[in-house]
Order: sequence, then C-alpha cells, then structure tokens
Amino acid sequence: MIKLAFYGKGGIGKSTTVSNLAAVLAGKGLKVMQIGCDPKADSTILLRHGREIPTVLDLVRNRKDDFTLHDMVMVGFGNVVCVEAGGPTPGLGCAGRGIITALEKLNEKGAYEVYQPDVVLYDVLGDVVCGGFSMPMRNGYADKVFILTSGENMAIHAAANIAMALDNFKGRGYAELGGLILNRRNVKNEEEKVGELAGDIHSQIVGMLSQSRIVQEAEEKNMTVIEAFPESTMAEEYRVLAEQILAVSGPVKKPENAEGKGRVC
Amino acid sequence: MLNRLRHGENTAEDGSSADLSAASVSIRKADFNAPFPAGLEYAAPARGSWNIVHQGMLIPEAHQIFVCAEGCLRGVVLTAAEMGAGERFSMISIREENVLKGDMEDLITDGVSDILKKLRTLPPAVLIYTSCIHHFMGCDLPLVYKRLREKFPTVSFTDCYMNPIMRKSGLTPDQIMRKQLYSLLEPAAEKKENVVDLIGSSFPMEETGDMMRMLRNGGKTVRDLTLCRTYAEYRKMNEASVCISVLPPAKAAGEELEKRLGMKHLYLPFCYGYDEIRENLGILSEKLKIPEEDRESGIALAEKALLAAHRLIGDTPVAIDYTATPRPLGLARLLTEHGFCVSGVYADSFTGEEKEDFLWLQRNAPELVLHPTAEVSMRVMPRHTEKKLLAFGQKAAYFTGTRFFVNTVEAAGLYGYDGVRRTAEMMMEAYLHEKDTKTRIQVKGLGCGCCV
Repeated sequence: MIKLAFYGKGGIGKSTTVSNLAAVLAGKGLKVMQIGCDPKADSTILLRHGREIPTVLDLVRNRKDDFTLHDMVMVGFGNVVCVEAGGPTPGLGCAGRGIITALEKLNEKGAYEVYQPDVVLYDVLGDVVCGGFSMPMRNGYADKVFILTSGENMAIHAAANIAMALDNFKGRGYAELGGLILNRRNVKNEEEKVGELAGDIHSQIVGMLSQSRIVQEAEEKNMTVIEAFPESTMAEEYRVLAEQILAVSGPVKKPENAEGKGRVC
Repeated sequence: MLNRLRHGENTAEDGSSADLSAASVSIRKADFNAPFPAGLEYAAPARGSWNIVHQGMLIPEAHQIFVCAEGCLRGVVLTAAEMGAGERFSMISIREENVLKGDMEDLITDGVSDILKKLRTLPPAVLIYTSCIHHFMGCDLPLVYKRLREKFPTVSFTDCYMNPIMRKSGLTPDQIMRKQLYSLLEPAAEKKENVVDLIGSSFPMEETGDMMRMLRNGGKTVRDLTLCRTYAEYRKMNEASVCISVLPPAKAAGEELEKRLGMKHLYLPFCYGYDEIRENLGILSEKLKIPEEDRESGIALAEKALLAAHRLIGDTPVAIDYTATPRPLGLARLLTEHGFCVSGVYADSFTGEEKEDFLWLQRNAPELVLHPTAEVSMRVMPRHTEKKLLAFGQKAAYFTGTRFFVNTVEAAGLYGYDGVRRTAEMMMEAYLHEKDTKTRIQVKGLGCGCCV
C-alpha cells in the first residue's frame, strides 16, 4: 500500500487533480481510497457524481460512536472508496481537531484493514495551518507529500510554507516531500517560478497540468475528466501525472492473491 | 441555622428555595440506564474512590509524570502528597507559549528527560499522563514515546491520560487507566498454565472469597497487581495463561491482555444474586478445570449473615451508592428480598449488567428512590436525616448526612457468596459503630495508604 498526501493553496485544484489521479489509478486495476481532509467535504464529489456522503465528523457529532465503517464511506467511480472527513460548524469549532478525529476514527474502525486499498490519497485543505492539518504527514499516514502549485505568488507562498512544515518534521519519520505538481494558471514565467521554488526547497517538479476548459466541463457533469472525457488530452495529462507520481512513490505492491502471487503495478 | 427537611422538598440545604425536582425519581418512573439528565455537574466531597494517581501508584517503583496546565495539576499533586508518594510523582507544566510555538512534543521529551536525570535512581517504569490540550492539538505522542524509549532504553514508558473531555466518549478514563496498568507487561517467553492474574481491581481479593478459595484449592498461583511489591513481581504477571476481571471498568483491560498477550480473559462480574454467582463460579470451574466449592454451605452462611443483619438493622432505612459497589441495584434487590428497607440508591447511571435488577426493583419496590450524585441540584439538597439511617458507601453517607455507614469503595475485594456474607457483616458493624463521616470521607483514595 502506498499513501500519498496532496497539499496546496485553497482553490489550486487539489480535489480535481486527486480525483482524476484516483480515477486513473483505479483504471489500472488498483484499489484506491481517497480521503478528503477538508471541512468543505467536496474532495470526492466528482467520483461520487455529486451524491451526498455523510462526513466522518457528522457521524461522530450525530451518532457518537454508534456507526460502522461502511457508514463513513461511499464507493464511487472506478470503485474508488470515498471518505470525507468533514469539519466543524462553520465559524465554530476546530477544523484541525476535526481532521485528527476523522483520521483517528478511520483507523479505529479499521478502514485500511477492511478495504485494503493499494493506494490511499489524502486530499488536504490548503496550507498547513495547524497541527491537525499536518496529521496526514505523520508516521503511519502518508509516505509522500505532493504540493500543488501554480506560478501565482500566493500559491508559491503556500507551497513554500508546506515544504517548511515538512522540513520542520525532519527526523520525526514523517512523510517525505515527493515533489511539486505545477497546475498551470498561465501566469508569466510560470514554470521558471515554480522551478525556482523547487530548487529552494531541494525538490523537483514531478509533473505539470495544463489549464483546460475540459476540466470545468467535466466538473459540470459532476465527473472526473477521466470518466467524462477519457480520450481528451487532459485525461492523458492526468495519466502521465499518475505515472510520474508512481515513479517517485515506488511501485504499488498488490497483496498476494489466492495462488500466492503478488502483482506490481 | 440549618433546616432539617426531608428529601423531595424544594428547600435547599441553606434554607433558600431551590428546584430539587431533578434530584430524585422513583424507580417506577425512572429510565434505564441514565435516569437523570446530563448537564452541569456537582462533585460531592466524598473522596474515597481511587483516581488515576492512586491507580498508577499500584505499579511498584514506577514514576508518574503529569504534563498539563498548572491549574489542572493541583488535584493530582494533592493526591500524590496525601499518599506520601511525592517522590514518585513529577510534573511538567504547559504554558501558552508552548501552544503558540507548537513544541508540545519537545516539551514532553525534554521535560521527562530532565526529570529522569534528576532522580536519584532511574525508575524501571514511567507513566506519562498527558492531558486534553495534547488531544486538542493532536500532539504526536507515538513520536514522543519513540524518542524517550531510544533515550532511556532501560526504562519502560507507558501512556496514561488525564483527559476530562473524553470522559463520556469511548473508553472512560477509569477504563483506560485500568487498561494501561497492564500495558507494561511484555509477551512472556512461556505461558504458565497454573498462573492466573486477577486484574483491574484496586484491592486484593479477599482470601475467604469463593473465587480465591477455588483458585487456591485448585492449585493455581494467583498474581495480582495490588499484591506486587516490586516491579519484577509485576512483570511476572505476563506469565499467566488466564486473567480474570470482576469489575465493569476492568473488562477492557482483560480484553486487551487477551488480544496483546494471548491470555484467556474471563470476565466474571462481581454480583449479589446467587444464580449469577453460581453461573460465574461454574464458568471459573469449567475454564480452569478446578473444582467448585460447596455452594450450599456458601449460601447458608450468606443467608445466616443476612438474617442476623436484618435482625439488628430491622426497618432502619438503608441508602446505597455506586462508589461502594459496582452493583448498587443488585445490592438493593438483595436487601429488599431479605426484608431490609432500602430507601434510596445514589447513582448517576447504571451498567447494562444492572438491567435485570432494575426491572425487578421496578416491579417489587416501585417507590425506591433513585438519586443522582453529580446532578447540580445535589449541591444544595438537604443532607440530614431525622431518624437513624445506614448508608452503604461514602456518597450515600454524605448526601443523607448519616454517621452510620459502610466505608468502602468498589466492593473492595469481596466476591461470591462469601462477598454477600461479608457485606451483611459490614452493614452490622457500620450500624453499631458511629463514625465521623466528614473526617472519613474527605480522605482521597480509601485504602491507598493515605498519610494525612
């Protein structure tokens, strides 16, 4: 099992990118679990075609501990296991604490043992604003962190902060920085600016995505690009990105089958 | 001047008017298992029940370190001081700057290291109690323990918690603490068939109790944390092939030992009903392949003691509280069945094990009054009795204002038919000998060796 976390400034396209990656990986025959760690609870919306899903925190709030693992998940496109951590009442409560509770609850209910995903994708809200949002970086959660950024200054600033958080955690056995994903906004000298950031944080740009209308069109259909426009250039970009990420993260070893033969993707 | 009023009247202890409607309900009208609404709570100054400090001190030679804000440390510091266990207790205080800096992990690692370096001898085990702020902030405790274990390889560390916000979700602090008491036991190289651990009680089981007699006569070696005098003795508890718990908050500890160390866990709850006692002892006999004791003589002795107690106590009202016994309704039923006048039971909620007794009392003693202990109006409830009243437990004594009470907590080591016999004897003794209630109940941790 590989576990990957995706961070980046709010609105940079994390959920869209992660959902498309999930769809690509599922298409390769891998069992994928996507965990949205955002109070908005819309990380997996494209995989579940806009259907409502109870968030983990809603369940904790409304039913205390009287719910099962299956109440927390919805199987979406490509059999991707979708989970939304959810968040506190807007304007109240603590979102970071919410992420911690949700991830602990998933562990407690045996999410990883029961679904045995080959790949777990954590889609994490924006910047690392407090300890709660660094939870997916911790030992036992993600192995690698990928940061989405464009060439916009605010996105670069957020990416630098996230990289700094990872650097602060050096020696703790937390996730390593896998690299940057450039999600283009077509700003001036975009690739150079992001390349410079990669140099500053001693990392690399692992993949790039174009700004494309296709992405919005797929979203209007409540689908990933992979599902809505599988033949599009954009779909191909997501496939390439998935390969680039797997190349950095190491091969996914499928559990041994009944004949005792494992499989490497 | 104090008003001398009976319960149920809407006049408070100080004579002012107060809404006392939530302070009592007849069992006929009560809901199972939580008859009283949750809300603002009152803590009666009856302090005999053990807390997490008392329980942790059961591990011989272990050192406790509490990590929390200074205001929260007050209670646990006093507990340790009252026990005369200050040498085995240290603390690390958290300040606002630690929250802002986010250096909670370093604070614990550095603080614990500093404390251990300053102790005259390195303890074999350290219990670190973290608090709600660590929980809120998502402090990486596994990382803290990993670092400490690397730094002090000869010391065994375990995680304990002083986390009141988790009091009503998941395992209770009491359950967690009793579970963690055995977390320092490591897997044994070899299990010993004849070794049995008694776990999760704060008191050793009485040798006259049916379970202990069966174990001894069956050739079993019994190990019990409350009897361990050295850390080495404690560590040998890992050799048991079977562990037995008898108290509801100890059940999780047994389940954990079964899962982690492969011990067979038997939960044979303390109770008063002869049928249930018979069933539990039958399971003990079957699972451990040891002979049962003579049931009829055990029952006869219990009945004889109950008869004698009833002859002495007669119609004197008896009030029971949940700190004295895990089965307050079971005791109320036993006493009612034997002609005693049970006037009240003080408990905020009941375990599922009490349901049958609850329903029995609803049918057979519908006017039995249930009182909460934590509901806020109990703070001003009149605490006087006009006639002599016998209380079973400190809280019942406090709330009724009686000076005749059985001073016990968590059924202190009683078990089986013999436990019923001893209960009757304790009631007789308490009925005959007046006590200074205030002095007795304000001491923390009954039986823990308080030095004040």
